[in-house]
Amino acid sequence: MIIARGRQAVAGNARLVAGVFMLALGALLGGCASMAPQTRLLGQNGLPPGVPRHFELKQVPFFPQDEYQCGPAALATAMSAAGVPVTPQQLVPEVYLPERKGSLQIEMLASARRHGLVPYQLAPSFSDVLTEVAAGTPVIVLQNLGFASDSWHYAVVVGYNYDRGGLILRSGETEREIMPFILSEMVWRRSGYWAMLVVPPDRIPVTAEQNRWLAALAAFERVGERPRVQLGYQTFLKRWPDNANGWVGPANTYSAAGDLTEPARVRREGLARAPDSPVVLNNLAQTLSDQGRDQEALPLIDRAAASEGPFAEEVKKTRAAIVAKLNGGRSSASGN
Amino acid sequence: MIWTPYEFAQAGMIGTDQVASAATQADRNTVLGFVNRADVANRLQAMGVDPKLAQERIASLSDQEVKSLASQINSAPAGAMSDAWAVILIIAIVIGVWYLWKRM
Repeated sequence: MIIARGRQAVAGNARLVAGVFMLALGALLGGCASMAPQTRLLGQNGLPPGVPRHFELKQVPFFPQDEYQCGPAALATAMSAAGVPVTPQQLVPEVYLPERKGSLQIEMLASARRHGLVPYQLAPSFSDVLTEVAAGTPVIVLQNLGFASDSWHYAVVVGYNYDRGGLILRSGETEREIMPFILSEMVWRRSGYWAMLVVPPDRIPVTAEQNRWLAALAAFERVGERPRVQLGYQTFLKRWPDNANGWVGPANTYSAAGDLTEPARVRREGLARAPDSPVVLNNLAQTLSDQGRDQEALPLIDRAAASEGPFAEEVKKTRAAIVAKLNGGRSSASGN
Repeated sequence: MIWTPYEFAQAGMIGTDQVASAATQADRNTVLGFVNRADVANRLQAMGVDPKLAQERIASLSDQEVKSLASQINSAPAGAMSDAWAVILIIAIVIGVWYLWKRM
């Protein structure tokens, strides 16, 4: 009897446990939609237009990671695919942070610049990732694979299969990891959907937003080799010639190289496109002033000063300097 | 001098760095005024990076990035390792949930 009772009790407990478990599962499943909202949207809306149902960048190289060094491995994968052959070992001194036993996102972006590539952080969108991959660019994603604690990991998306609902990744020690969309999103979401890619300066990522791409080029200008920086700006202007801010960079890089005539030419071209931009006006005025042509510079800087804007302070300074030079009698109408 | 991007060295010019960032004038003053690249490089050093490398690493950041790095160096996610078992566990749970759901 005692044994039977015991059995009954066990059976009853088992039913209770099973019931609670199912309830918990129900809650979990109900929560799934909110755990992977983008996957649900992808299921409802289908793929972005023009993107094939399955696609894989098979030629993207694979670098199995050493301990803790998924950052350098992922970056080497993406950079090699962009035409700059590097090994993870070469990148360790650039991105690895010994005390943290890992690599920070900001440094992942910065390292690419040092190798002549322009890094771009994608919008936090699943379909943007698929769009970029389908356009031929592997995408680095930051995942949190930890269960009880955090375990951050960089992996490279190199393909997907929409019908099977999964991503294909180079990840850690796995050359071709297939991860369901829902799971990919769950681990990716925890990084705030952080994703980046690297491209040569003459390529604009297909999902790039023009102002954010210009900011990416501006950051590249800091360390990139000048011809590559120029190439980046030229490519930008071919695509978005009416972006006044786009005209600022190319002329500045010529100026920095000590060239006095080319910047003025580029700035005039920019002015024709954006006649009211205080920034373009300011920089053209400054260029002319540098050439000793302050008489010509004055009306331009006056036009710039007429509009209130975020650069009013800089414009005021430029104008004061030009006026001072004119009053000092060092004005000169010489020049071509 | 290593910290000075050349566009700032050009007196009177406004750089793309300035126009392209969404930062306001006040933001830009804050960034330029309070972000000291040498300080951030020192913090990288304190985390085990060789001093020369730390300077080079900081040099390739935009002002905005230096600022973010300074505030997040201890807390930002540092991608490190592949925790394969956690993935397998998650996969097992997803499959389990799906299977039980079908049976219900």
